[in-house]
Amino acid sequence: MKALVTSDTSVLTLIGPPNSGKTSLFNLLSGKNYKTVNYPGSTVEFLRSNLSPKYNLNAEIYDSPGIISLEPASPDEKVAVEILYSFCNSVSSQIIINTVDASQLSRHLLLTKQLISSGFRVIVALTMKDILNRKKIDIAEKKLSEQLRCDVVCIDGRTGDGLSDLLVSINCSLIEFRNNGNSKTISRTFGKNDVINYFNDIEKITASVTTKIEPAIKPDLINANRQLKIITNTSKESFNILDDLTLQIDRLLLHRIWGIIFFVLIMGIIFTSIFWLAQPIMNLVDELFSSLNNLVSSNISSGWFASLISDGIITGTGAVMVFVPQIIILFVILGLLEDTGYLARGAMLIDKPLSKIGLNGRSFVPMLSGFACAIPAMMAARTIPNKKERLLTIFIIPLMSCSARLPVYALLIAFFIPYDKPWIGGFLLAAIYIFSIASSMIIAAIVNKFSKSMIKSEDSSSFILELPTYRLPKIRNVMRHTYHSSKQYVMRAGPIILLLSLLLWLLTYFPDYAPQVSGDNLSPIEIESLQDAARFENSYASQLGKVIQPAMTPIGMDWRIGVSLISAFAAREVFVSSLALIFKVTDNDEDLSASLLKSMQSAVVGDTTQKLFTPATILGLIVFFIFALQCLSTVAISRKETGGWRIPILQLILFTTIAYVAALVAVNGLRFLGVQ
Amino acid sequence: MRTASELKFGEKVLITDIDESHPSHKRLIEIGFTPGQQIEIINKSFFNDPVAFSIRGSKIAIRVSEANCILIK
Repeated sequence: MKALVTSDTSVLTLIGPPNSGKTSLFNLLSGKNYKTVNYPGSTVEFLRSNLSPKYNLNAEIYDSPGIISLEPASPDEKVAVEILYSFCNSVSSQIIINTVDASQLSRHLLLTKQLISSGFRVIVALTMKDILNRKKIDIAEKKLSEQLRCDVVCIDGRTGDGLSDLLVSINCSLIEFRNNGNSKTISRTFGKNDVINYFNDIEKITASVTTKIEPAIKPDLINANRQLKIITNTSKESFNILDDLTLQIDRLLLHRIWGIIFFVLIMGIIFTSIFWLAQPIMNLVDELFSSLNNLVSSNISSGWFASLISDGIITGTGAVMVFVPQIIILFVILGLLEDTGYLARGAMLIDKPLSKIGLNGRSFVPMLSGFACAIPAMMAARTIPNKKERLLTIFIIPLMSCSARLPVYALLIAFFIPYDKPWIGGFLLAAIYIFSIASSMIIAAIVNKFSKSMIKSEDSSSFILELPTYRLPKIRNVMRHTYHSSKQYVMRAGPIILLLSLLLWLLTYFPDYAPQVSGDNLSPIEIESLQDAARFENSYASQLGKVIQPAMTPIGMDWRIGVSLISAFAAREVFVSSLALIFKVTDNDEDLSASLLKSMQSAVVGDTTQKLFTPATILGLIVFFIFALQCLSTVAISRKETGGWRIPILQLILFTTIAYVAALVAVNGLRFLGVQ
Repeated sequence: MRTASELKFGEKVLITDIDESHPSHKRLIEIGFTPGQQIEIINKSFFNDPVAFSIRGSKIAIRVSEANCILIK
């Protein structure tokens, strides 16, 4: 295995159960920049940062997926554990900062116990003590530290209280490491009885370190109450009660009937808000690129260079940057939902129906992320312990209507929207989403039936999920995460789009055949557009396109759409930019999609007067985009996540075939019914 | 012997043992379902499966098939 860090670095590894405040602590400790790093040999991501320079300590800090035990059940847990052991050999000193939720002490200490008994140097960071105090329980850290035989520091991830104590503890441990060298760690297994014994120890520890905070009332009254058993003597019972507010909210959100209604409502709000909230920002981005285009064409004298800049680069990137706001909004909403604790409830509500088609409640979050982008979605599938369910989830994720399809749908739907009824657009988009969800479920069910031959099966399906206490989302964490995810997204998609736009421009512009257009009654603009048309007719793209014409004719389309469809295999959003390029958006005074729309509406098939874009062909195109796997990055990530070419190739062939056949049926079916 | 899947709302019982025949029995123990602990049913989903239990001050959702291997008094 490739070493991640050089041997003389000190490493702080954050380890803790899910929802134990690990990420808040990481944000507190890390500097402004963090990087997502891939664990060698896999794509599991963990976060790496240098300890913030203001703390005057030289160390790297790692945040890995949450685990509840040193014996992993799912791929992401496996990586967290492997990182832990690999650092023992590759770095001079590793200190584990084990986050433990004080209000869940009796469950979270299991991992602490396992870590200590495996020989790691552990500092326990006790979080969420305020929640415990709200339950009228106090905790004696010193006593806990003595009983566990490791440093225990109370820390508040929101305010940063207790951070200085943690830093002192880290510093002491580092000095000790330097003096005594690395302690020996052993990888060991924990049987059923080991775990039960640990829990017996933990119960003794929690009983001795927790004390009930007595209300400040007269001692007599306490005594009297105690005799009447109004106040319980042991802290154990009050320690183990659930958060009252959470119980009340769940009475509604996990109600047997209301729960489902709220679930549908919440999902509905998410998807509509993506479009409503993003629209004004999208218009802004659009205007920005349009004016940029104007600037170029008015400052650079016409010729291939001006065409390269405005048609190749600005039109290409502009068509894509337009939908970045939607991605950001989707990430924000997902982050907020995750942070409040609702996503786990959603997973629980939907587990039963999903298990019927071979998926799992845990598939819910990856599938939901699939509506933003298939790449993070496939990576999120790592939290599914069962291999078959995980592979099936990855298999159908490309069918989730990702945000790259949005600009395509937005453009195509515009054909159907009458000027006076803009709401039809929203309605049609909703219909597309519902149709794509329904068809992906059907495909999942069919693949599940044939799963023995398609996906290697293994059966031990399980669903064990903690439903965390509801809390207000930490906006800063959500924003930070959104910023990094969106940036990563643009960095990944951006170069591909730019490169393809350039390539496509080259193909459509060269071999620069521009005939002399004579005509005294033509304006210079008209002459120029005639020249453009002639150049395009003779371009390489046109020659190439004629090869694929036979495949396009049955679905009522011509080679110009074909070229766009093929270039869309690099990334779906390229479809819009390449249509824009091919149908040559000549007027710059209006925004991109409107002018593109005009030139598309007037496009005809060959030399006939028959319109190219009719309701039938537009619907055919939409259907094609619902199914087709047109994204190279998705294929690449699918290969990585499934560990082979079998599944990505199967996805590519199956989904593209379905797309073509469905488009064929849609177009010809509609024509048969009299819809042109 | 009753199992946790037969619990009714409001019933608070102690776990006596965890059946080892279920493949995910170990995860159940690791997450806190150990003998001697008190559990209570808190929520059921629309299809009566999965079920949310209160255990050690946390709320854990598990499937009925998994609740079947939690033996109670």
